[in-house]
Amino acid sequence: MKLLRAAQPVFVLISLAAILIALTAIARAISARAGFLVEREVVLLVWLAGLLAVAAVFAWVIRRSLRRDDSSLSLWFMILTAILLGSPLALMLLQHPSP
Amino acid sequence: MLRRRAVAGLLVLSGLLTLGYLGISSYIAEQLVYATPNPIVRTPASLGLRFANVIVPSRDDQISLRGWFIPGVLPDGRLTADRTIVVVHGTRTNRESPGDHLLELTGELARHGLAVLSFDMRGMGESPPAPLSMGNLEQRDVLGAIDFLRTGQLPFPELGRPRIVGGLGISMGAATLLLAAAREPTIQAVVSDSAYADAAGLLEREIPKRSVGGGRIPGVFAPSALVMGRILYGVDLFAARPVDSIASIAPRPLLLIHGAEDDYVPISNVQQLETAATAPAAARVSTWIVPKTRHAQAFKNTGSAYVTRVVGFFDAALGADRAVGLPA
Repeated sequence: MKLLRAAQPVFVLISLAAILIALTAIARAISARAGFLVEREVVLLVWLAGLLAVAAVFAWVIRRSLRRDDSSLSLWFMILTAILLGSPLALMLLQHPSP
Repeated sequence: MLRRRAVAGLLVLSGLLTLGYLGISSYIAEQLVYATPNPIVRTPASLGLRFANVIVPSRDDQISLRGWFIPGVLPDGRLTADRTIVVVHGTRTNRESPGDHLLELTGELARHGLAVLSFDMRGMGESPPAPLSMGNLEQRDVLGAIDFLRTGQLPFPELGRPRIVGGLGISMGAATLLLAAAREPTIQAVVSDSAYADAAGLLEREIPKRSVGGGRIPGVFAPSALVMGRILYGVDLFAARPVDSIASIAPRPLLLIHGAEDDYVPISNVQQLETAATAPAAARVSTWIVPKTRHAQAFKNTGSAYVTRVVGFFDAALGADRAVGLPA
């Protein structure tokens, strides 16, 4: 139970990312019926708004986790979460410039 | 307590950087897959040629592409559709493409007895809005043009269907044509002018040269913009790699043209394409590096030399016109 609670930020991050990508795919499928001009704006809007919403939810989860659990296990999971969160950016930077 | 604060700070920093990076990359991706269509100003009539407006459905997704069918004019003035060339324009332009004088080139082909099917690819010119994909999706447009010539309702029915079909593409049109020709054996001869070997490599070099909102885009955003194009719009810019499929064009004749001073698609691209195209033993590839010429400017710079070379290539590859012809 303690492990699950400590790992909560990681699970939340993965779930939120999956939800955001799924939401964007649904928005694309629906808006594509109205033509690409509508689709391109709707998709961008849903994605950017989704990023902000995800950031807000995630910040709230992290804040709550930091307050209620101060074990070292929780701390390690926080570090793992930070690495996961930064990994897309790090991967892109690592492969730039491309060969 | 200090450690917890450090970790919290790391999380905030990591989150902010990633959020900002993804947001900006998404915006660049949206810019990559869309271009405001350029209107058509002139038609083949301005060159004194007969033509008909046509609607060409793309293969698989049936997008209604707008185009022109221009019969070839034989030396005695009769019209013909015996040998038809599918002409494919570059990115962010249209079938008139004043930047590289495509309409004039189209007219020259017609005046030398080659009928021309020229059309606006998806998302450009008068064709319906659609995401741009540097040839990956647009190859369906070229394949649709082939289907149209084989089974569509052609104008000038008295000329009959083309006996043999070739293709000519410029820049992205050339890359798109190479992708399509590798899949479609009906295209019996290909002229590729200023094609790239790999779209992702080209975009990764080009994105940092572009400006958005008055500032230059740092190169670190290029790879993620390509990835975001796939996530947000389903546009796989990494898949537009003519270098991987060009060998399948053999044994059909292929003419590669490239400007020696092309700074948009560096000359290394045509070298890669040539190496890949000549890999099969049966390959028939010729290459013309045009001196003192920048991107897609070979026809504009050399005029009649270009026409002589291209028409000579098609004459050799497609054979002489065999149609009875129709009085003009």
